[in-house]
Amino acid sequence: MSKRANDWLVGTVVLVTMVVLIAATMYLQQAELGTRRTSVTARFRDVGNMQVGNVVVIRGVQAGRIAQISLADEGWVAVEMKLNEGIELPADPVVLLQAATLFGEWQAVITARGAAPGIREVLMQLEDTAGAPPATLPGAVLPDIAQLTSVAGGIAGNVASISERVRLAFDDSAAREMRATIRNFNTMSTQLARTVREQSRNLDSVAVDVRAGANDLSAGMTSLQRSLGRLDSATSQGELETIIAESKQTATNLRAMSERLAAMSLSLERAEASLRGVVIKADTVLSRIEAGQGTIGLLVNDASLYRNSDSLVIDLRAFLADFRRNPKRYLNISIF
Amino acid sequence: MIESLGNSLRRGLGTVGAASRLTVEAFKALRDVSTWGPNFSAQARQLGVDSIPIGVLIAGFTGIVLALLASYSFTGAVPRYLVGTLVQKTIMMELAPVLTGLALAGRVGANIAAEIGTMRVTEQVDALETLAFDPVAYLVVPRVLAGTLMFPVVVGAAMFFGMIAGWGASLLLLGLSTPEFLKGARLFFDSFDVRYGLVKAASFGFAVTILACAAGLRTRGGAQGVGGAATRAVVQSAVMILVLDAFWAMVWLLGRAR
Repeated sequence: MSKRANDWLVGTVVLVTMVVLIAATMYLQQAELGTRRTSVTARFRDVGNMQVGNVVVIRGVQAGRIAQISLADEGWVAVEMKLNEGIELPADPVVLLQAATLFGEWQAVITARGAAPGIREVLMQLEDTAGAPPATLPGAVLPDIAQLTSVAGGIAGNVASISERVRLAFDDSAAREMRATIRNFNTMSTQLARTVREQSRNLDSVAVDVRAGANDLSAGMTSLQRSLGRLDSATSQGELETIIAESKQTATNLRAMSERLAAMSLSLERAEASLRGVVIKADTVLSRIEAGQGTIGLLVNDASLYRNSDSLVIDLRAFLADFRRNPKRYLNISIF
Repeated sequence: MIESLGNSLRRGLGTVGAASRLTVEAFKALRDVSTWGPNFSAQARQLGVDSIPIGVLIAGFTGIVLALLASYSFTGAVPRYLVGTLVQKTIMMELAPVLTGLALAGRVGANIAAEIGTMRVTEQVDALETLAFDPVAYLVVPRVLAGTLMFPVVVGAAMFFGMIAGWGASLLLLGLSTPEFLKGARLFFDSFDVRYGLVKAASFGFAVTILACAAGLRTRGGAQGVGGAATRAVVQSAVMILVLDAFWAMVWLLGRAR
């Protein structure tokens, strides 16, 4: 191959390879040549794993890329974003930095302040606007996936501990008991179903009775209506005045009777009071008798006195018998 | 054993010293454009353009294997679009430069060492010196320049076709869609990946050609010496490629790690 042909071939290969490589690189980087972009700056206290080139998202749609990240005064980090042409920011916009995937890729989300998550730390970061340069958006960093996974790790540990305890508690005997419980529950549910069926039948009969009662009530109402009709007709014939007059007389009699009953009740109360006094006195006397006080008490409680009295009566009877038989022995009547 | 170890170390240091000396001489000879210029395009075609098919073939099959390997490894919660990520990162940053470099070390290194070694044992190099031609400018500079400049071209083509092969395998064999594969490829893509691979390729090209030239110029004896020079050139080039691979990783990747 001639030297000229070598030159041409080598030059062509080098050029084509360079063009292909550059084009492929731009394609993979999603570079857009000749596109006019709007620059927006936000500031943060920390930008986490955010890097230049990460995407900017508005309502879930890619709207640009991170162009520059630099340290600013007073502990801030300034993040410059290049947004695609024609992109309109939401009202009262804020910028949230968050993990886009589980593999460490981050993204910046521009959203309305009201749509920001109600996490206390995030809200505090967004409220920290003191000394912000004009046209700089407030920003906050959402918790990293590592923080979330550390919390989730703790939760998972607790769940594992609970699972282990459940496993220990739910051994073979517990399973047997559970099985027996289920069988009992099955039996109980069968009985309950039977009871429900019986109660249902009872309820049916009650319903029949209620229906019959309702019919009776309906008949009663009909009868009442008839009675009212008759009452209405009686009123119209002048019998009602007679009934009222008789009722007045009856009421007068009843009032007189009640007055007499009241007087009798008063007499009874007085008699009761008198009787209560008698009883109290009798009770006192009896108490004294039982205590052996007084003559009767002595007679009741002293056996020797009783025996003396008894012998006295016997002697008296003998004396009377002897007196009847021999009155002269005891009577000596003389005149002068 | 110690004597053998010492001899190996002495030979290794001698090779490094000869290559270093040759490098300095080659830089000095760069000024002699009229001597090396006419030979550059022929060497660039031979070392670079003619090597593109082998580089593309290696990278193509590597891309297919990587896609299948990624799909085999990424199970469960790992999303399948990461196949594109693995293919992109691995092809561009490691496999395309290193595998292509190793393949070219065999093809180019052996070719250069054998060619220059044959010229040395047949005293053609001495004849050049007799004719007032600088053998370094005439033989070494065009080869080293062509290797340094054309290796990145070969590796760039290998990167491109490796990605195409990985994408095709993902579509045809794994059932991934093009957006899925591109999402994975773009997920962690950085233009640094391409620069890193191309700079490594240039350093590999320089190392392979300078070591092969040094081995060829140090050839002694007849055909056996030429064969030994070719073997030494391939072995030393392969070792140097791996050493440089680790060197660039330490220099650039450690510095970029966060």
